Amino acid sequence: MSKHDFRGGVLIENPYPLNQLSVVEVPPPKKAIYLLKQREGASAKPKVKVGQKVKVGQVIAVSNNDYCVPMHSSISGVVSAIDDQPIAHSSGLKVPSISIESDGKDDWISLKGCGEEVDKCTPDEIIEKIRNAGIVGMGGAGFPAHVKIKGAQGAKTIIINATECDPATLCDDALMRKYPEEIIKGIEVLMYACQSQKAIIAVEEDKVDAIIKLNQTIKNKNICVEAVPIKYSTGAEKLLIKLLLDKVIPTGSFASSSGVLCQNIATVKAIYDAVVIGKPLVSRIVTVNGSALKNPSNYEVRIGSSFSDIVKKSKPSANPHEIRVGGMMMGVDVPDKNYSICKITSSIIVDEIKIKQKESACIRCSKCNEVCPINLLPQQLFWFCKSDNTKKASSYDLQDCIECGCCSYVCPSHIPLVEYFQYGKALVKKELREQELAAKSRERYEFKEFRLDRIKQERDKMMAEKKAALKAKMAKEKDNKAKIAEALKRVNDKKK
Amino acid sequence: MIEAIIVFSIFALLLGLVLGFSAKKFKVKGNPLVEQINSILPQTQCGQCTYAGCKPYAEAIAKGEAKINQCPPGGQEGVDALAELLNVDTLPLNEEHGETKPKHVVEIDEELCIGCTLCIQACPVDAILGASKVMTTVIASECTGCDLCIPVCPVDCIYLIDLKPSMDEYVPNMEKVTNV
Repeated sequence: MSKHDFRGGVLIENPYPLNQLSVVEVPPPKKAIYLLKQREGASAKPKVKVGQKVKVGQVIAVSNNDYCVPMHSSISGVVSAIDDQPIAHSSGLKVPSISIESDGKDDWISLKGCGEEVDKCTPDEIIEKIRNAGIVGMGGAGFPAHVKIKGAQGAKTIIINATECDPATLCDDALMRKYPEEIIKGIEVLMYACQSQKAIIAVEEDKVDAIIKLNQTIKNKNICVEAVPIKYSTGAEKLLIKLLLDKVIPTGSFASSSGVLCQNIATVKAIYDAVVIGKPLVSRIVTVNGSALKNPSNYEVRIGSSFSDIVKKSKPSANPHEIRVGGMMMGVDVPDKNYSICKITSSIIVDEIKIKQKESACIRCSKCNEVCPINLLPQQLFWFCKSDNTKKASSYDLQDCIECGCCSYVCPSHIPLVEYFQYGKALVKKELREQELAAKSRERYEFKEFRLDRIKQERDKMMAEKKAALKAKMAKEKDNKAKIAEALKRVNDKKK
Repeated sequence: MIEAIIVFSIFALLLGLVLGFSAKKFKVKGNPLVEQINSILPQTQCGQCTYAGCKPYAEAIAKGEAKINQCPPGGQEGVDALAELLNVDTLPLNEEHGETKPKHVVEIDEELCIGCTLCIQACPVDAILGASKVMTTVIASECTGCDLCIPVCPVDCIYLIDLKPSMDEYVPNMEKVTNV
């Protein structure tokens, strides 16, 4: 047992152990589709036209929004389409995308990095390089890495999150075994960019090989590896910080404001590539796993490759499948394999179709309360979300729910609690959005009333002034006429 | 006996002064009920309730001149919320005032627009931009979907545009989840 522990969480064994942990490198695909919006927020705008030739690493879409990073081509070839394509999101919606057909050459742009001596660049230059390389948090949330780092400049401690967390995902383990040197160098880059003194790599205690390999590679006494319990949901950022540093990050605030930066280990590797070599984010390691596969494995694939091509390499059975993206606990179910790998796609799970347990009534066993790692009351929240009572749900801290799925996992009544909480959160967000819109149109309506009133008053004033001027003019004319008449009379009188 | 009367009179006087002062100082301007009602109304400013906007309708409800079921954009939910606030029985939405339409905005066909500016004057939230005899356009982010500009257009170049569902605004369908 490691020295760190926390309340709640569940012990879940990997239901689909891999035969081999080495990473299979997949050659560049024939066609790649790049989704220009991979998380909530702004979407990048295409910078290329249909028919244009592109090289590997070339920027194909950019955005002015700081929360939206540029997208790079991961293959060389010709832009074949710019349209909307489906994204692995519970909404089932389509998002803007760019499709590129390969020319089979894998022709790269010329790469220019800082080299091993990172201190030749300033921290700000490094952050700019990270932004330009299109790096986002690769654990699953996809938050832009440069925004996080910029906010955490001066942070004392950096935590490198290598706790896969999800039981069926093993891409971080594979990454640590394959690229230990790059990872350590990447951490040094990150420490330099943030001017921090200490870095902790958090690895689950059962990843013995990875821990040994990292420890052998570390030369810097300010970097250490900490083994954390294999209990599920350790990998949630705030939980990990609590676990390692005993610091509680308050609701609604970021870890960076407490002097901690937490980055995923795959992100660190991407930062190494971007800063030292100058290579943008064009590939990642994806775990392909599940009960329907003969040969589950970790694959290093180009971003934009299609799911079905990669799943085929793991020899799926001929039956229809259930597909889940992004982990067995926190992932999203998708109807088919017609999706493409995003920067945040950590795993694809392909299962034989299981009979789903029917949801039955809550028996108030309070198992969900026991496993909730952030001490919420899922049982109470369930009632409030079910009855659309957003006010009550918010007062029971619905917003703090990290959607880890521990509660749904242990529920003996098979209630999909997390889905209720996602619904509740979406409802709260919708209400807030509507309130904001109403406030805006109300303000604009009131301003129009005020404007019309002001115009009326101005017009009235102008009319009054005109009237007065006209009166004065008429009076003057009358006066002049009288004077002329008087003069004429005088002349006539003289003549007589 | 006299002491007690004097003491209590002084007390009464002091308290009276405090009450009189605070009544002036903390006087609530306008009817607070109007504000509360107005904050429930959707602020579409469409006038389907037969009043000139949401605030006039709120005033009419507060005075008891209007019924609470005259606002189609607010839907049945809005009527229920008003009933709860006013502590009265809820009513079904009055269909005479129109039906609840899905959220939308309008768009002007710039090829056909003749620049008559009639729509600019009709827009209750100044969401239409343009000037006499030049092309006119709608600021979609400010449009409330009140549709007041549509009947005044002499060349019928204003169309309804349904808002595209977006990933950021997605609300899961709970019926789908629970029926599994």
